[in-house]
Amino acid sequence: MISKTINLTLKVWRQNRSDKIGRLETYPAKDISVDMSFLEMLDVVNEDLTRQKKEPIAFDHDCREGICGMCGAVVNGRAHGHEKETTLCQLHMRHFSDGDTIVIEPWRARAFPLIKDLVVDRSALDKVIAAGGYISVNAGGAPDANSLPISRDVAEKAFNAAACIGCGACVAACPNASAMLFVSAKVSHLAALPQGKPEAARRAMAMVRQMDACGFGNCSNETECEAECPKGISIIEIARLNREYFKSEFA
Amino acid sequence: MSSEVKLDAKIPDGPLAEKWDRHQFNLKLVNPANKKKFQIIVVGTGLAGASAAATLAELGYNVKNFCIQDSPRRAHSIAAQGGINAAKNYANDGDSVWRLFYDTIKGGDFRAREGNVYRLAQLSCNIIDHCVAQGIPFARDYGGLLDNRSFGGAQVSRTFYAKGQTGQQLLLGAYSALMRQVATGKVTLFPRREMLDLVTVDGKARGIVTRNLITGDIETYDAHAVVLATGGYGNVFNLSTNAMASNVTAAFRAYKKGAYFANPCFTQIHPTCIPVHGTYQSKLTLMSESLRNDGRVWVPKKPGDKRRPAEIPESERDYFLENKYPSFGNLVPRDVASRNAKEQCDKGKGVGETGLAVYLDFADAIARDGEDVIAGKYGNLFEMYEKITGENPYKTPMMIYPAVHYTMGGLWVDYNLMSTIDGLFVLGEANFSDHGANRLGASALMQGLADGYFVIPYTIGGYLAGTEFADVNAAKTPEFAESVDAVQRRVDKFLSINGNRTVSEFHRELGLILWEHCGMSRNEEGLVKAKTLIQNLRREFWENVYIPGTGQDLNQSLENAGRVADYLEFGELMVNDALERKESCGCHFNTAYQTDENEAKRDDENFCHVAAWEYTGDDETPRFHKEPLVFENVELSQRSYK
Amino acid sequence: MNWFIEMLRSSIGKKLMMAITGLAFILFLLIHLIGNLTLYGGKELFLSYVDHLHALGPLIRVAEIGLLTFAIIHVSTGLILFWQNLQARPVRYQVDKRAGGRTIGSATMPYTGVLILGFVVVHLLNFHFIDHTQQTVFQAVDATFAMLPYVVFYTVAVIVVAIHVSHGFWSLFQTIGANHIKYMPAIKGLGVIISLLVAAGFGFIPVYVSFIM
Repeated sequence: MISKTINLTLKVWRQNRSDKIGRLETYPAKDISVDMSFLEMLDVVNEDLTRQKKEPIAFDHDCREGICGMCGAVVNGRAHGHEKETTLCQLHMRHFSDGDTIVIEPWRARAFPLIKDLVVDRSALDKVIAAGGYISVNAGGAPDANSLPISRDVAEKAFNAAACIGCGACVAACPNASAMLFVSAKVSHLAALPQGKPEAARRAMAMVRQMDACGFGNCSNETECEAECPKGISIIEIARLNREYFKSEFA
Repeated sequence: MSSEVKLDAKIPDGPLAEKWDRHQFNLKLVNPANKKKFQIIVVGTGLAGASAAATLAELGYNVKNFCIQDSPRRAHSIAAQGGINAAKNYANDGDSVWRLFYDTIKGGDFRAREGNVYRLAQLSCNIIDHCVAQGIPFARDYGGLLDNRSFGGAQVSRTFYAKGQTGQQLLLGAYSALMRQVATGKVTLFPRREMLDLVTVDGKARGIVTRNLITGDIETYDAHAVVLATGGYGNVFNLSTNAMASNVTAAFRAYKKGAYFANPCFTQIHPTCIPVHGTYQSKLTLMSESLRNDGRVWVPKKPGDKRRPAEIPESERDYFLENKYPSFGNLVPRDVASRNAKEQCDKGKGVGETGLAVYLDFADAIARDGEDVIAGKYGNLFEMYEKITGENPYKTPMMIYPAVHYTMGGLWVDYNLMSTIDGLFVLGEANFSDHGANRLGASALMQGLADGYFVIPYTIGGYLAGTEFADVNAAKTPEFAESVDAVQRRVDKFLSINGNRTVSEFHRELGLILWEHCGMSRNEEGLVKAKTLIQNLRREFWENVYIPGTGQDLNQSLENAGRVADYLEFGELMVNDALERKESCGCHFNTAYQTDENEAKRDDENFCHVAAWEYTGDDETPRFHKEPLVFENVELSQRSYK
Repeated sequence: MNWFIEMLRSSIGKKLMMAITGLAFILFLLIHLIGNLTLYGGKELFLSYVDHLHALGPLIRVAEIGLLTFAIIHVSTGLILFWQNLQARPVRYQVDKRAGGRTIGSATMPYTGVLILGFVVVHLLNFHFIDHTQQTVFQAVDATFAMLPYVVFYTVAVIVVAIHVSHGFWSLFQTIGANHIKYMPAIKGLGVIISLLVAAGFGFIPVYVSFIM
């Protein structure tokens, strides 16, 4: 893994508090190894800034292996950057060229108020889950795990929806800042499974109501969410959410 | 250094299989109407924390739940890939609670408690039942029943999995259960909070002090009991498979308040990680060791062979694990696999640019089962590997190298999971746990969930019901104000040093010292040297670190400074512990103590104990306590995977 | 009834209204197209179609009121959605790129919608709100398309309609939950076919009337 290095120009959104006006600041990113991840590149820039006694760029990140959903920024107009099914931490610098200018902005949505620089508050997504994104079972009373056979296809279907990491890229990428893909992933996952059926109706209604209350936009089937989802969640889940929702309302 | 104080693990009497049942009966119960009068703080929202918070709230307790990330769903349990063990014996291949218990005890090289491990094996079955009821989409076979695979060091198929994302699915299950309780109002969530101190009143844990990571406010919270589920300290090595925010701070602050720290030198090095590429690497990525089920580990027979893998003929490849351990082959426990990889690289047979890697080859498996089958099992892992390295593992062998992954050491707890501080419970990886000197694959998820769903709900009740509580109020009780002062002073101190080196530089340096001298293999000379190096580095840190920004704002440099400052003290504790344990066992491999076959050579006569360390003051040598391990049900044997 | 209003007020409810009214318009458009094709058969055929249509009497009224109601729902809901969606992202991106999901149709829905509304008004003024005692519909058509600007206007307008339908058609199926991995490609294909039919079928009429007839 002999490392090639590249030089880049970053334009990063800097904003101190949500009520102050932010702006794009320009920073050089020099001698960036192409084997680095995007966040490691930001680490290098931040180390430089710190050495110059300037405040480093605040950005959310944690597992750095694409599963926790903590990281995310809009890179050159694309949520998590331009690579398909990739979180920002798994976007590697080999996908950029020497001399590139990279514009980095936070997720933009009314439901995700900005905290600082690239850090936003995504607690709205937690609120939606709290509204019904669960199966109501208490620890202790479950029957034997194999007492309820579930066909492999159904399990697979549920799994595909359950792959959501709650990063919010779907909201960031949606022209309307809608959270339908996120909400549908959870509703679909649980509605697909027999365990989830008893409260499927209540769940869909409660989660949609909460989603609306959080100030997300409305879905207009632009399918940008599906194109940007780092876990490849399909808008088929949204159709299923719609069905579940109508079922809950009309039945 | 050793003391006469005997640690009482409070293991219940009676035959092994009946201990937990009897104990549950003997534990006092809290009257249902009284549960709502109790406040419980749970720090952490990983498998252990989220499951504990949810379950305690289900029982009726009022729970305050804290996490460092923006949402409880981010906890690093989410990254566990491989699976979760349970002694269900669905595969009809001879598994049983006893076998899971025995495998875990043996896998831990006989440095874990029989009672705890047996309970863990018993509860493993309840976990699977509960998780399925929660809607975890485990893998299933065509008949619709749950599928199992064999995993890291097990000769039976007892591992339940959800593709390569078992941890994610289990965590999201626990998170869902938690959010359900948040909606009922029984759990109040405090995200983006870092616990910076434990508050004890009259010797009991009664609250915590946190920093609000957004506003910088130092906040206080009181409760009747505090549950720490704050994960492991693998990041003391700087490079590890842990998430960036994983830290020892909460546990270490509790240690400084009187909780003993057990077996800190027991850190697991995982064999199947993506090799290091450069200085600025921020973390190492683990690939599930399930890969070893089908992948074959090899290096060129000739040292310094720089040919591409495809150019090396079969006869010139050394499948060193298969050759050395014919019955377990590539499935030997993690410590054995890691050490052997390092051994090969030390002989100059390592591959890749750095020479610090071995091949993990799927060519035979793909030829045997077809690419589809292999993709079905490991597709996402292969994609991840390709994403990171830019190489296609379907075509060319993966390169892997060991990396720090899990810490078996942690705060000492008794059978009730209570630490040496009354009312301070420690769950999951944060406690010194049930894994002894080495954890088997797919056991961490099991332990975290057993602790949270099925142990703490009983044992905390026993404590609450049997304890007299003084009135404590975070706003009035002086211990809280004192603690806030100390925390604030520390924050101010960080910001006032105004030196010339960044926090990360110190962290990297500390990591290298520990990796070199307190990593996969250790020796007395290296450990003594490491101790001095750490002390010097710590001194320099407090004189020369630079932290930009202020304390009244989101300041990630400041957060890191606090964590690294604790690591700089904690690293020395690890070294002390490694020095004290003059034997090899499991992950703790001291080169002076090895068998003729270069395996860890235990000294059961003198070291069949848990080493628990008591804080005695800054720059003081901590006091050593010993909890002897008693084995009544298994015979201590030399681990052999030949 | 409360639940019904609540349902319609939800984000998915609003989409449902758009989908159902949109579906009605597409059906109307197709029937309208079939009727208009009689123009290619000459004046007599066209006028006999008009007569037959008018002979339906009260049914026509019902249909008109229905269409008007649907139009009000479709337009007002569309405007609300447009406004709410703008509000949902108060600070826009400095750099905004598509990830491959958006199409010309989907990205321009509100704008093509407003254009279509304008077109419908003009269209009704041209052929509906005229004194039918003084001239036949055919004469009105003939007179209108004698003017080149109208020919261009109508041709462009139906292309706009086609663009709107190109997203609207498959999108309404998605909204009512009819997205299946097996059938969606066919639905999307049908959407394209209908859009092309609308564009070609309607778009050629002004040209035909103006230059060929």
